[in-house]
Amino acid sequence: MKEMHKQILRVSITLLIVGLAVLLGHMLWVRYMDSPWTRDGRVRADVVNVASDIPGLVTEVAVRDNQYVKKGDLLFRIDTERYHHTLTETGARLEQRKITLALKRGQSTRRAMLDDQVISREDREDADLITLAAKADLDQAVAEHEHARLDLKRTEVRAPVDGWISNLLVRPGDYAQAGEAKLALIDQKSYWIYGYFEEHKLALIHVNDPAEIRMLGTDFVLRGHVESIARGITDRDNPTDVRLLANVNPSFNWVRLAQRVPVRIHIDEIPEGVVLVAGMTCSVIIHPASSSKS
Amino acid sequence: MPRELALLDALVPALILAFAGGLALSWLLDQVFTISGLYRHIWYRALFRLGLFICLVCSLGLMIY
Repeated sequence: MKEMHKQILRVSITLLIVGLAVLLGHMLWVRYMDSPWTRDGRVRADVVNVASDIPGLVTEVAVRDNQYVKKGDLLFRIDTERYHHTLTETGARLEQRKITLALKRGQSTRRAMLDDQVISREDREDADLITLAAKADLDQAVAEHEHARLDLKRTEVRAPVDGWISNLLVRPGDYAQAGEAKLALIDQKSYWIYGYFEEHKLALIHVNDPAEIRMLGTDFVLRGHVESIARGITDRDNPTDVRLLANVNPSFNWVRLAQRVPVRIHIDEIPEGVVLVAGMTCSVIIHPASSSKS
Repeated sequence: MPRELALLDALVPALILAFAGGLALSWLLDQVFTISGLYRHIWYRALFRLGLFICLVCSLGLMIY
């Protein structure tokens, strides 16, 4: 009888430890795999591709690489000579049209004072219409002159936002095409975090949930909140071929990888000493609002 | 507690620390149990060791995360 009691004790101690191991293992698994956190987070920022509005030779680059610029600061200058000439040309045309208008207007008033026996009614009406046409020509010349003035102003390319110049490749002597991006300007106020969460964790994440962001390899913790969740990602298994037929990738039935969905995190608080660089890696931990209340 | 650990410049999850710690602790406890003769009250020694090791690793892991 005593032997049997001893045997039961031995078995139950062992089974207790095994049961505890299973329980703890399950807890860690849930904590690690099913709680809303990801090691795949990225710092992102809006980048403005600064382009010249007008074509021409770059004569001066006023900024250095990685320089901080304020909105409205000069970035680079396009050769102005051609645009000065255009301005002079349109100015001359404007003057010419003004004189023409004065001439036609004089003719028209003079003719209006004459009666039907001296001048035909047709001539008189024509003179009025010619004046109106001259007025329209003048308006056109004014617009062209303003256009030339604007072009001249746009030879100075200025910063559209506060931020940092990045990867400056434009040099004096380069030819700038109109609308062709010449340098990248990172918007200072636009930094945000993209956390790429596995699809099965999305149910645990809600807009406005507080988030904790840890930069890779450092102890810095940034605070933020969930701003929005992406509503679509590319289906990588179904690109079309040249004949527009579906090209479905064969996949294993056994192992399936969860897709990652971008969750946009707004940064609320940056500790001192942290320099955010767009493209940095970070871990994102979401604290669901419901669990933090309880 | 950083969740990444630089191992020869490769950043690995800090869970590996829990694994190493669990290994050391379970070896230590194993020695203690052997000396104190506690293993006489154990049914399957290997099963008990495995369970103990998993318990230690998971507890340490839960402390980190």
